Amino acid sequence: MEKPSILQNFDAKWAAIAAAVGILLLFVVLPMLYLIWRSVFIEGSFHFETYRQVYAQSANWKAFINTIYVSLAVTFVSVAVSFPLAWLVGRTDLPGKGFFRTTFIASYMIPPYVGAIAWTQLTSPNAGYLNDWLMATFGLAKAPFDIYGMGGLIWCLTLFYSPFAFITISRALEKMDPSLEEASRIAGASPLGTLWRVTLPLMFPSVIAGGVLVFIGVGSAFGIPAIIGMPAQIEVLTTRIVTYVYLGTGKGVRDATALAVSLMLAANFILYASTWLLARKDYVTISGKSTRPVLVELGRWKWPLAGLVSLYGFIAIILPMGSIVITSMIKSLSRPITLDNLTFRNWLAALHNDQYMTPLWTSFVTAAVAATAATAIAVFVAYLLIKTRTRGRTIPDSLSTLGGATPSIVIALALIITFSGEFGLNLYNTLAILIVAYMVKYLTMAVRTIAASMSQVHSSLEEAALNSGATWLQSLRDIMLPLIGPSLVAGWFLVFMPSFYELTMSIILYGSKTKTIGVLLYELQTYADPQDASVLAVIILFIILVGNIILRKVSKGAIGI
Amino acid sequence: MAEIRINCVTKKFGEVKAVDNFCATVGDGEFVSILGPSGCGKTTMLRMVAGFEKPTAGEIYIGDRLVSSPDKGIYVPPEKRSIGMVFQSYAVWPHMTVFENVGYPLKIKGLAKSEIAVRTNKALDLVHLGGLAQRLPSQLSGGQQQRVALARALVAEPDLLLLDEPLSNLDAKLRESMRFEIKELQKKLGVTVLYVTHDQAEAMAMSDRIVVMNAGVIHQIGDPVQVYETPANKVIADFIGLVNFLDAEAGEGGVKIPALGRTVHAPAGLGGKAVAAVRPENIALAAPGAGLTGTVIHKSYLGDTVDWRIELGGEQIRVIAPASAFQEYSAGDSIGLSVDKVMIFPA
Ligand SMILES: Nc1ncnc2c1ncn2[C@@H]1O[C@H](COP(=O)(O)OP(=O)(O)OP(=O)(O)O)[C@@H](O)[C@H]1O
Ligand SMILES: [Mg+2]
Repeated sequence: MEKPSILQNFDAKWAAIAAAVGILLLFVVLPMLYLIWRSVFIEGSFHFETYRQVYAQSANWKAFINTIYVSLAVTFVSVAVSFPLAWLVGRTDLPGKGFFRTTFIASYMIPPYVGAIAWTQLTSPNAGYLNDWLMATFGLAKAPFDIYGMGGLIWCLTLFYSPFAFITISRALEKMDPSLEEASRIAGASPLGTLWRVTLPLMFPSVIAGGVLVFIGVGSAFGIPAIIGMPAQIEVLTTRIVTYVYLGTGKGVRDATALAVSLMLAANFILYASTWLLARKDYVTISGKSTRPVLVELGRWKWPLAGLVSLYGFIAIILPMGSIVITSMIKSLSRPITLDNLTFRNWLAALHNDQYMTPLWTSFVTAAVAATAATAIAVFVAYLLIKTRTRGRTIPDSLSTLGGATPSIVIALALIITFSGEFGLNLYNTLAILIVAYMVKYLTMAVRTIAASMSQVHSSLEEAALNSGATWLQSLRDIMLPLIGPSLVAGWFLVFMPSFYELTMSIILYGSKTKTIGVLLYELQTYADPQDASVLAVIILFIILVGNIILRKVSKGAIGI
Repeated sequence: MAEIRINCVTKKFGEVKAVDNFCATVGDGEFVSILGPSGCGKTTMLRMVAGFEKPTAGEIYIGDRLVSSPDKGIYVPPEKRSIGMVFQSYAVWPHMTVFENVGYPLKIKGLAKSEIAVRTNKALDLVHLGGLAQRLPSQLSGGQQQRVALARALVAEPDLLLLDEPLSNLDAKLRESMRFEIKELQKKLGVTVLYVTHDQAEAMAMSDRIVVMNAGVIHQIGDPVQVYETPANKVIADFIGLVNFLDAEAGEGGVKIPALGRTVHAPAGLGGKAVAAVRPENIALAAPGAGLTGTVIHKSYLGDTVDWRIELGGEQIRVIAPASAFQEYSAGDSIGLSVDKVMIFPA
């Protein structure tokens, strides 16, 4: 009789999927709902008193306004810079555009707080390298730049969050059927006329999408505002939340909760509003054989523009990274940068310092476990989404997207109040809570990658295996997983890398024995040990670089962060 | 006057010669197709005429104007060539209505609103889209989008129209009726057409002349009858229509074809191994006895015709015959054959 075996297939499949859904419900839905619940249900009654109290304090209200203001400013500047850059790199004969493209996309993988540290080294008013150099060269009496201020904050955030916009816009540009532009050329429009009348309107949805990513990224950012904003008394929601949590009191946590819910609602509002707006502008076009885009010839503007783009690349990446590397080797910060002021001693000392190496190892382990668990869950979430037709198959995927879209600080706070014993699960100060947090935040990266790859595998391949008598698990193991193998590795790295250098959630969730590398770096920066901070920053950058190279190798260049 | 003269144009992508020494002329008001298998360089040639690619060598004239000449450093960009073009993917702009799409070339020219309206509506009527002017492309079927693209290409009344596999995204029925429509429009407007396709039926049905290409090189230029009945070589014979190839040997006194048991007159300069090519419709079935006798291997019923596979002198040939004939014969039976029109090529 065949029947029992079919039933078994069925069971294994649904058990696996149910487990994935269960984990998502427990670690995504429950904490978020509980967070909201706790902000409005205080001592048994329902009211908005916490919100009233919190926003009655001008500091909090100011932080809210700052968050919106800074996010908007950074979003506008990012889009205004990224669109021309993406166009130059994707549609013109700009020299070295392949290199520029890779570089701008790669700058996305620099942890923002490392960027902030670098810019404090470059442009702090009393000892910034750039300030010193300009003062010495031009005989200035006063430092020309001061990173500690609103301008510095927006500058630094723009440099490290604009890659979101650049990546979104340039991907969309690559996907756009070039004959849409060619049709405009042949109709008599010049290259610039085509850019204005065809390319720009068609890119509108992805410009918005990229802008939204930047907006939410900046609104949820903690590293840069903490390192650059706080010393200048500029507070945003995330820094207020961390301050409240660090008070350690019940009231502190409650106030943090109210702020976190505000941040979450603001982020979700923007996200859904933009999705709604974009859904109505669904520009799906039938595309024929992909033709290679005709490159706009820049003519005499070619080299000046190449110079300008190089300058941007230099300022955005080379300058800050160079500053970190040099600082990691400098003997005395009060002396100028000369060869005899450089040494490897900082490095040797740091590498033998257990206080540094332990957090490095902690981050490595937690990120690896989170990445492995996330990849496993993502396989089932993606399978349910792509390969089944059941009702509700999109729900786990939406939950993982929700996790990814929720500001990190909100996830961290929700996890801490939910899993400090309230529901019979006490993860407080454990490695587990870090792992859960990373998983919730970055699971969607793995799901996206694996789902994309699964959708390329034709169902008949799997059906052939089932027909040959394999159980569902066997066919998953023998057919599906080998075929999507590269995407599993890619998905793993896409979770591992951001988890490895994570700061915002870790700063709330770490315990004395579970300090992570991000937290350590932040401490070193605030306690003014720039050399050691730079050594660790270089180590982080190196590990990310290696991870990214592996990722590109595995995905044959298709995926990289 | 929109004659196209393509003088020995070569296009290299790196080391790959996509188009190699292409020389052809399209007369004023003529409909010429470039026909060839996938990857043979058809699109590349068309795009050089449009101005989207620059030749590596050679010259292109549109009318009396030299538009591309790497030697003389001349290159006229697409927007200055006054050409209409229909793309394989239609390239209808999704953010504009049908009216805006079609009126775009006129708007770029800076015509007055009222004139744009008149001429756009005229173009829309021409392709039978009169009622759909205010729709968005996403609300149109593939065939309708195709017509929008056609109207847009014609609205500015260009002398020259370029089409790159415009029908390949349509279903078979629609493709046939659009062939007819495009041809009618061309006749009515007197526009010069350069048409790229890999579908030989399409090329035969519409063209005044066909340029047959393979691997970047022109193999033959001729009208549909010439290309079909006297293909320049084996490759073209095989590419255009169905054909049976039989071993043959050229020698003193003609070409010997063992399978047909006959010797035919040899084309000049042929010696040694050769191939004989016979179109399936040039073979007639008969009762066994008279003439050649073969053995039926297989027959496939196709509705109006039957596709026969017959063994003849150790080789297998294909015969297409009316379905009503020789119904009683089946695999294993002997059957008579008479062969008309044999083409001979070097092996
Ligand atoms: N921009 C380019 N860069 C490099 N190679 C190219 C480029 N465009 C075309 N080729 C190559 O030139 C050759 C001819 O391409 P082309 O697109 O002209 O073929 P085609 O005859 O139109 O084929 P199809 O019927 O598939 O459209 C192909 O080998 C193609 O790979
Ligand atoms: Mg082509």
